[in-house]
Amino acid sequence: MDNPIFELQDAHFSYLGRYPALRGIDITVCQGEQIAVIGANGCGKSTLLHILDGLIFPERGSFKAFGKELKEDAFNRADFSRDFRKKVGLVFQNPDVQLFCPTVKEDIIFGPLQLGVEKGEIQRRLEALVGVLNIGDLLDRPPQQLSIGEKRKVAIASTLIIEPDILLLDEPTAGLDPQTTRCIIDLLIQANESGKTIITSTHDLHIVEEISDTVYVFSPEKKIIKSGCPHEILADEQLLRDNNLLHIHSHRHRDKSHIHPHTHLEHHS
Amino acid sequence: MSKRNNFIRRSLMGVLSFLKESVFADEYAAKKGFLQSLDPRIKIITFILFILAILFTQSMAGSLYLYAVCLILAYLSRVSIGFFLKRTWIFIPLFSLFIAIPALFSVFSPGEPLLSLNMAGVQLIITRPGLWGAALFVTRVIASVSFAVLLSLTTKHFVLLKVLRILGIPQIFVMTMGMCYRYIYLFVEMIENTYTAVKSRSGVNIHYPRGQRVVAWNIAYLWVRSCQLNEEVYKAMLSRGYSGEPAVLNDFKAKPKDWLWLSAVLAMFAVNRLAEIWGIYG
Repeated sequence: MDNPIFELQDAHFSYLGRYPALRGIDITVCQGEQIAVIGANGCGKSTLLHILDGLIFPERGSFKAFGKELKEDAFNRADFSRDFRKKVGLVFQNPDVQLFCPTVKEDIIFGPLQLGVEKGEIQRRLEALVGVLNIGDLLDRPPQQLSIGEKRKVAIASTLIIEPDILLLDEPTAGLDPQTTRCIIDLLIQANESGKTIITSTHDLHIVEEISDTVYVFSPEKKIIKSGCPHEILADEQLLRDNNLLHIHSHRHRDKSHIHPHTHLEHHS
Repeated sequence: MSKRNNFIRRSLMGVLSFLKESVFADEYAAKKGFLQSLDPRIKIITFILFILAILFTQSMAGSLYLYAVCLILAYLSRVSIGFFLKRTWIFIPLFSLFIAIPALFSVFSPGEPLLSLNMAGVQLIITRPGLWGAALFVTRVIASVSFAVLLSLTTKHFVLLKVLRILGIPQIFVMTMGMCYRYIYLFVEMIENTYTAVKSRSGVNIHYPRGQRVVAWNIAYLWVRSCQLNEEVYKAMLSRGYSGEPAVLNDFKAKPKDWLWLSAVLAMFAVNRLAEIWGIYG
């Protein structure tokens, strides 16, 4: 594979040493790739993204970032920490966690300010992002007054403004209306076309094909059960059913209602 | 409905609605008035000057003159005078009453007696210097509290925090205050939602001991949630490059009007001091 950015081998992680979150994960991410990590709730997707962002570290196994073994004490070196944070950006699952400043504008510019980006450049990036995400009227508002969709847009803006090479997104479209979902997908596609590596965790199968070249499926046992191209993964109905990813719908036809599972691909056939 | 339960419900909802309406609503700060139009840095400096002038004042007339200036500023800033008086006079007894009352009596302020009271065989004498000192103290408190309240009413809280950072208050202190403010709102919403959820499942007639258990459970839940949130927010800060010393963007711009206002307040401060020194206030 060309130019691996992240390499996880047999990575294990547990919370409080008792509650396993990842059990033996092997994953390699190369520059410019679009990856989707899919799985049911609580299967370890967020934990994986936090490891890739250098916020937590595997208890067992190895984790290499940019070709070097990554350990917690590496972040004690200011230059390394700053360099890593400039390269890797994470959009958290809960936007309330990410929006901790008194106003939207302060939240968006928090990252580049901490990373020492020049003020004129911050202003330029802010103006560009405000235009793309259409959030100009939100800038002076406190984050708590925003709707969930607006919060998510602002959270994404607060990460994108750092202009990271690698963008990690934890369920970026959860609970969003179709128009906002579309806007975010377009943004991810555009970011990838400009050379960024995109890793998205989701259980929304409708967006997987658009935002990924490779899909990793997590099982409830916190392991990667299968990986492959989106078409191949989404066509494997048994795999999706076993891992709680299949949609089950109730339909009414004339005067009869019936319930049946359906796969994502039916929408595109 | 149990009266005690009703009392808890009303108290809880009252506290939450007070927090939302008075602490989080920037109603007056968003109006287009005189103080709202000033550069926040200049505004805060001039308010500090006003409060210093009150502290240096030795006469009641001086304090009342500054209080009148404060009321005029409130009027010019489109703050309802009735609302402003209610807001400031709530605090004044708290600050001054317990301190001012003992100062009335001869035990603490000896001098010419004005009134003698006999309470349970104990004779208490209110003296002229005591009454004068207590009145001066109360007017000073009224004027100072009014300026502080007017500043907070006419300045958006985030701007206030930002100015504090720019004026050299330790960044970590101001940032912690800002985050407290931000997340109290989240917790207020969480309490409201939990209360509504409990009500929707159990109706309004919750038996008192059960109500206590629900409240205790909620306190525990909020505690656990705040610990989790604390950890997650810290991770989110680290993820965007935070390394222990937050940086802040100073994008305020002072206009000629702001410098004019600062000069006027400085002149007022000087005149007030000279009037005190020359005894013009009497």
